[in-house]
Amino acid sequence: MSKKHTEVKVPHSVLMSVESPGRYVGGEKNQIVKPITEGMVRTVFCFPDIYEIGMSNLALQILYKVLNGPEWSSCERAFSPWPDMDAKLRENNIPLYSLETKSPLNEFDVAAFSLGYEMCFTNVLQMLDLGGIPLLSKDRSEEDPIVVAGGPVTCNIEPMADFFDAVFIGEGEEVDLEFTAVIKKYKDEGKKDRKALLKELAKIEGVYVPSLYTPKFEGRRFAGFDMEEGAPASVKKRIIKDLDSVDYPTRPVVPNNNVIHDRAYLELFRGCIRGCRFCQAGFLYRPVREKSAKTLCEQGIAIMKNTGYDDLGMLSLSTSDYTGLPELTDGLLEDFKPKHQSLSLPSLRIDNFALELMEKASQTRKSGLTFAPEAGTQRLRDVINKGINEEDIMSALKLAFAGGWSTVKLYFMLGLPTETMEDVEGIADLAIKIEKLYFDTMRELGGKSRKPEITVSTSMFIPKPFTPFQWEEQNTREEFLEKQSHLRALLKKHRNIRYIWHDVETSCFEGILARGDRRLCPVILDGYKEGNIFAAWDQFYKDENWQAILARYDLKWEDFTKGWSTEDALPWDVIDVGVTKAFLKRERAKAYAETITENCRSKCAGCGAACYKAGICYE
Amino acid sequence: MNNEERLKQMTRQQHQHEYVCRGVFERKGALSYIGHLDLKAVFERALRRAELPLLYTQGFNPRPMLVFALPLGVGLDTEGDYFDVSMEVPVEPEEYIRRINEELPDGLRVLSAVSIDEPKNSLMSVVTCASYRIEAPGITDAVLKVFGQESVETMKKSKGREIKVDIRPLLIKPLTSSAPDAAEYMCYAGSQQNLRPDVLLKALCETQGYDEKAALDARITRLALYGGTYPDLTSIEGLL
Ligand code: SF4
Ligand code: SF4
Repeated sequence: MSKKHTEVKVPHSVLMSVESPGRYVGGEKNQIVKPITEGMVRTVFCFPDIYEIGMSNLALQILYKVLNGPEWSSCERAFSPWPDMDAKLRENNIPLYSLETKSPLNEFDVAAFSLGYEMCFTNVLQMLDLGGIPLLSKDRSEEDPIVVAGGPVTCNIEPMADFFDAVFIGEGEEVDLEFTAVIKKYKDEGKKDRKALLKELAKIEGVYVPSLYTPKFEGRRFAGFDMEEGAPASVKKRIIKDLDSVDYPTRPVVPNNNVIHDRAYLELFRGCIRGCRFCQAGFLYRPVREKSAKTLCEQGIAIMKNTGYDDLGMLSLSTSDYTGLPELTDGLLEDFKPKHQSLSLPSLRIDNFALELMEKASQTRKSGLTFAPEAGTQRLRDVINKGINEEDIMSALKLAFAGGWSTVKLYFMLGLPTETMEDVEGIADLAIKIEKLYFDTMRELGGKSRKPEITVSTSMFIPKPFTPFQWEEQNTREEFLEKQSHLRALLKKHRNIRYIWHDVETSCFEGILARGDRRLCPVILDGYKEGNIFAAWDQFYKDENWQAILARYDLKWEDFTKGWSTEDALPWDVIDVGVTKAFLKRERAKAYAETITENCRSKCAGCGAACYKAGICYE
Repeated sequence: MNNEERLKQMTRQQHQHEYVCRGVFERKGALSYIGHLDLKAVFERALRRAELPLLYTQGFNPRPMLVFALPLGVGLDTEGDYFDVSMEVPVEPEEYIRRINEELPDGLRVLSAVSIDEPKNSLMSVVTCASYRIEAPGITDAVLKVFGQESVETMKKSKGREIKVDIRPLLIKPLTSSAPDAAEYMCYAGSQQNLRPDVLLKALCETQGYDEKAALDARITRLALYGGTYPDLTSIEGLL
């Protein structure tokens, strides 16, 4: 374990020659700089994307506070340097450092990565490499930090299994300190046996140590794991049962640099009552657990006071499903109005209440309305269990148009299971009907001449682990492109409808990472070595390069996108998120039967998450 | 008038009385690496945290009325820049300094303040001169040579085009407090005519053969801002 402490000094000339140098200097209000003491367990929270994105991440602020709690534990921050700074650090032999004490990453006891999306994988390697930490878990010595990861992506960490010593499954507030406490004991006892330490860490519930599992393959097929003695057969997701009882960061670090969203955040609840069958978050975060409106109101007011922001964003998977919403928004707005502060309410389901609330909550101009029907026909919406129908959308929009709104954004997915061209055409039909509804409503009200702005946005459906569609075949590039161009042709003539689409190549790449296995580890390693970082940014994604690397290892996209039978072993079978495989199979069958499953609040579907004895399953 | 001032003028309610706190601040360390708009946002948030009786702009997106005398570029330290904050009711300078300093991040500090009842002149318009210190090896020789010349031509970007400008008339005098590796000088500054220190450094490299690497590493500090007409300079506090 590391002992020394060096302070990295970045020359002024380096900072002056990169874009937004404020990203690399720290010094923000509410940052916590603890003096380094012997025996302290030092964690560096690593966010594998740029500062501006990382600083809007709630997990960072929560765990920063938790890990800086006990006297013996400290937590600092590090972010991916943008390519200009990456080059400068290499050119000048400057290691990647933490913002608080400017320590090189390899001097920490723990390097903890937050993984929000698969496309950041090569940036993890960038940070390790620049931080002076060996990339492969097996190459690390006693002196090196324990490299861990958390976040939704860890439910299938196999494509990155060779790089992480351990990963957290589920929510981190409790497990993080249990983890560092084991490391503290190990340090105090002066032990020097990394392998034994990892085995010890694997005993903590919710901790998966990939090196204790060796995958087997039959031909090109994954065929389960050989496990080391003592490795748990199943690693169970951790959750916080009572969200009111855990500390919330009401004194978050306030960036000096222009972040993506210049506001504070308040988390209303975790999980989602709706079981949209394509949605990984909906299953991963079960069961739904709400915070009380009273707690939230107090926290919201405190955050605004401690940060000085003028806008508070409500954070959850589906704001409208929060049962205390009227009480909470009334409470907050009463306090905010005289102080010129506003509320941001994303993912509101549009109805009368929502429109009034939006009117009250923000002093800014009428912003756009967002709908996510996800599929163009009722049949396909039933397949994916999206409990939204055309009449609901139309009646909500009629209200909104009459109330002065004229900007609508519609989100859809292409490539959903059972989709036909008819379903794709349904997307265009719906958008055209909405355009007509706008003009009809305006005419009824006695003709305003303003044009509506209707945006149709499509993304590619990517089957994800722990959803009823985890066994599905993903559409090929050709299929995606054909659907895209068909839709584009259908909407071309409609001047008030704008069609925007996601990039097919990057989405397909995300698809192989999402359901990949350990055969992808060397692919990602080569990809990094050949200069692929910031793959989520279309301008940096190099498709031909990735194709060539896959071929080098005799791998094909189809190895990871062709799908499985429901009896096959899956690379993420060791992980237990509470939702059972039996339930997912039932849901899959219901999808093919075009049958809806009710949401958790109206009727329990017996998904398995009740094993946590918490939240909505026990209300 | 700069944009901030224009916005302030446009959105102020008629007959609304404004009590201005004019503060002098210093900036150093991490906070020197942010741009002017970010700096303004940092001050805004600190003012809100300090729970001062701020006057807000009207309209869709109310903001505290906050005006800086002269933008501070990325990388620049300052020992004496000015900013005005409008209040609904008078605030004692000592009280103002104490409350805002408690909330500013390390590296920013208000050194002194005066309160002004209904200022007549816009803060930006009163600035005419500034003094700077450039710290870099052997810099003072190069700066003194430039002062000895009749004209110093350099290329400057203006509206997307490169144009040739003579910066010599913008330089006023070297200061006697200079040391060999720390050149101090006075030049014109403000909305009428302004010499940015990075433009001077560039000219030093081009015309005096000063080392470009050393120039990139040079630490620049704005020492003070002045009003009035050189040589009859006055302090900005006094210019109400
Ligand atoms: S409403 Fe559906 S898509 Fe949205 S978070 Fe919930 S389950 Fe996922
Ligand atoms: S056990 Fe029932 S109530 Fe609980 S999350 Fe699953 S379906 Fe919802």
